[in-house]
Amino acid sequence: SAPPVTAATLTARDMPAGRKRPAPSPFAGFSPFARSLLFSPASGFSRLPLTNAAKPHQDTAGMPPPPPKRAKQAEPSSDMEEEEEERPSSDADEELSGSDGDGDSDSSPECSSSDDDDASQEMETVQADFAFFDPKPADFHGVRLLLKTYLDSKPWDLTGFVDLVLEQTTVGTVVKMAEDEDEDGEANGGDKSDDDGDLFGLITVLNLGRYGENRCIKDLKEYLLAVCGDKDTKEKLKSLLEDKASTVGLLVCRRFVNFPYEMVPKMYDSLFDEVSWATEDEPTQELQDSFRFKQYLLLVRILERKTPPKQKAKNNKDEDEPVIYPKLEDEIFRELSSWSFTFPIRAEQSAQQELKNYKEMGLVMCVKADVIPKFRKKLEALVSE
Amino acid sequence: DPVLCYVVSVGIQFENNCEVGVFSKLTNAYCLVAIGGSENFYSTFESELADVIPVVKTSIGGTRIIGRLCVGNKNGLLLPHTTTDQELQHLRNCIPDQVVVQRIDERLSALGNCISCNDHVALTHPDLDKATEELIADVLGVEVFRQTIAGNILVGSYCAFSNRGGLVHPHTSIEDLDELSTLLQVPLVAGTVNRGSEVIAAGMTVNDWTAFCGSDTTATELSVIESVFKLREGQPTAIVDDMRKSLIDSYV
Repeated sequence: SAPPVTAATLTARDMPAGRKRPAPSPFAGFSPFARSLLFSPASGFSRLPLTNAAKPHQDTAGMPPPPPKRAKQAEPSSDMEEEEEERPSSDADEELSGSDGDGDSDSSPECSSSDDDDASQEMETVQADFAFFDPKPADFHGVRLLLKTYLDSKPWDLTGFVDLVLEQTTVGTVVKMAEDEDEDGEANGGDKSDDDGDLFGLITVLNLGRYGENRCIKDLKEYLLAVCGDKDTKEKLKSLLEDKASTVGLLVCRRFVNFPYEMVPKMYDSLFDEVSWATEDEPTQELQDSFRFKQYLLLVRILERKTPPKQKAKNNKDEDEPVIYPKLEDEIFRELSSWSFTFPIRAEQSAQQELKNYKEMGLVMCVKADVIPKFRKKLEALVSE
Repeated sequence: DPVLCYVVSVGIQFENNCEVGVFSKLTNAYCLVAIGGSENFYSTFESELADVIPVVKTSIGGTRIIGRLCVGNKNGLLLPHTTTDQELQHLRNCIPDQVVVQRIDERLSALGNCISCNDHVALTHPDLDKATEELIADVLGVEVFRQTIAGNILVGSYCAFSNRGGLVHPHTSIEDLDELSTLLQVPLVAGTVNRGSEVIAAGMTVNDWTAFCGSDTTATELSVIESVFKLREGQPTAIVDDMRKSLIDSYV
């Protein structure tokens, strides 16, 4: 399989493939919703210390300081750790994330959560080197964290699913900080171990026929059939999961909310390249064939606007979109899909202010393999905007 | 009889979280369990403990991460300033009267991450307020030591100890282990829970006679836990035997 690809280091000048473009707002590609998330208290990275004290794996490019309307920040406390779920923190302002508290007492809070003032903000650009790696057993916790909300809250064989993803090293990529891949592994005894992987993203595709006997895939199939409301769609879904399963790839792409959008096309590039190589490189004919997918099945989350009760909508900004796609490419997939359906999510919804008019929904899509080239073009175009 | 409890096939999970110690708090006198999650989570605790100590469903500050926000033992329970009046009252109503329930004003409000204790000794975050330290000593009736564990200041996260033994961060040095063991006056071992997670207190919860571990915990990790917390003493109950069998089935 391919050697690790170093993704773009995210400075304004230095864009992928030597392309130059004017220093953009790094988040122009995001919907207004996504950009507002970056300013929200619950956003994990909103208070990254942009000082010398910053640890390398906490930093990503040009994080704007939080808006002034938030409560005055507490003293930066030396014990703040990363805002990953269950990552311990001493200040419990947010459920299941670190505190929104501090670290930005130096920066000028000259921004707002609307989309108009980005260019005038003072933004420090922080160097971040992300790299792509093959999944390996040590990534267990990081991958598990990303997949924890893949299905709804009802328990399923999540651990088995994670193991499956990690075992398939020929096709599948995890995104981590470039320094993390240390051949000496355990050498950094006292250092912060990357036990939780500092894994920012994951992409893979699993053949539903090949792994059909695995408990996690059985759980998943059962779940999808259970949440599908429409009778006709359910027939199509059933056919995909049963007789056609050996030609269907479950495409799984999970990443943190503010994952740099420039790297998303690269994630998909690496995936589809690996799939194509696998059809030649896998040791047996059977395995090679298992990567000749005719269809891809995707399960993602979207936000649908709740029907406003008699025009009471207070925040009439352009967050009035009927559907918000936290992952930009999902909108393209949906356009190109052969069929799709949505279903409500039962797990506790986010309490964010920006999202109170929206309800989280699951979206299942079936995308024919032959539209993938079109998808890649559209994604590239979207990201270059 | 000491019993080691771990549900393997279904797993002790709280909405696909193996972090048992995040959504619960277990002491020798009471057990707190977070609201939400499946009934299975709550009933696992209830079936093991209800005859002996009260199992109380609660939230703290409206959140479910109760294990990380509070700290307690048989003498008392300390709650962060984010605890609501209703939650405080509910806890006072449900917890035995001899347990002092107190809400404290400490900046480092994730008390469960900052403080670890049994019925006699507490280890705390080095930056904890002096006033808080005194409250801990008074309310919990313990001797208090400011400590780090394997260089980590969140001592409440990286160790779990009862009056019989303790499990600490895997990278704790031998010297530190000795020192801590002397302070705590219990045997300690460095290890992991939930398949290599070093956040011990998030992955499990323990008192003098029971331990609950997340479903990802491996057989090796379980045997270490059984051993250091002395949960294997006395006749193993039928439950433990059945679980051992199912463990072997799952892991072979």
